[in-house]
Amino acid sequence: MKLVSTRVTDGVAEVHMSDTDNKNALSRAFVEDLSAALIEAENDASARVVLLRGLDTVFCAGATKDMLRDFASGDLQPHEIRLAGAILDVSLPVIAAMEGHAVGGGLAIGLCADIVLMAKESRYGCNFVDLGFTPGMGTTRLLEHVLSPAVAHELLFTGELRRGSTFANNTGVNHVLSREEVLPKAQAVAERIAEKPRLVLETLKRTLSIRRRAAFEEARTQEALMHTISLSRPEVREDIEARYVE
Amino acid sequence: MERAEILAVVEKYIREVLDDEAPETIDPARSMKDYGINSLDIVEIVSHSMRELRIKIPRNELADITNIDGLVDVLVEAAASK
Repeated sequence: MKLVSTRVTDGVAEVHMSDTDNKNALSRAFVEDLSAALIEAENDASARVVLLRGLDTVFCAGATKDMLRDFASGDLQPHEIRLAGAILDVSLPVIAAMEGHAVGGGLAIGLCADIVLMAKESRYGCNFVDLGFTPGMGTTRLLEHVLSPAVAHELLFTGELRRGSTFANNTGVNHVLSREEVLPKAQAVAERIAEKPRLVLETLKRTLSIRRRAAFEEARTQEALMHTISLSRPEVREDIEARYVE
Repeated sequence: MERAEILAVVEKYIREVLDDEAPETIDPARSMKDYGINSLDIVEIVSHSMRELRIKIPRNELADITNIDGLVDVLVEAAASK
């Protein structure tokens, strides 16, 4: 069974991350499925907008423990996971309906969207530093495109998992609603966008995403340098084993 | 440190999460999930409590705890051996 599915209805391409067994954690299989689902959405000629959603309690949990172990052992380089870039590269507008929690790389995915919705009762944060290494997936630059740089940096330094309700004021999150209101609102925004001609949306998307795509590429380079330093800490494997949040 | 003090710290952070929806009394024999607290809320409640109590316990040693009393027991033990 596919971990991420795509369904296009009236111009809205819903990309549904639904790996219930692993709470939408980023395993290699999940990353492959999500990348394929995004391409499938974009390749559907009737699609005008992509609505990215997860499970009601978990939008995306970030890397699996196995993947972190591979980072620590050097079997996998974090910058090889280009998932955030795959979302930024979608030629149509992307809406992230984050009903459930989004942590680390999972938050990065959501914040790559053009329009971001969060739930008051869910938690959002980047706990890379808790696991003993520096942040990746573009988070060092992507967070500050949605949240204020000050808030983004605080989240990156503290690893705090903050309730969606705390982002309701003075941040760039488009809508912070009760969990059950998130999907209907995202759907309504998507339907409104889907009325427009695809060529217009694609052209606008290319322009509006320039700064963020450039920021992501810069972040990847810087984060790769930081990872060569921080993942070489002798204690990093131990930290991952002791502090990973299941 | 007294057990009651530690319980009070944990309860303070539980109430912070529940906010207006906090009941008058919180029964420590119950699980936080019974009060509608989700798994990542628990991560933050535990992390705030440990910081205030100046205790560090690895997350993987907290995996088998089933109720508030269970958490307080582990914290009491860690505080005693400090």
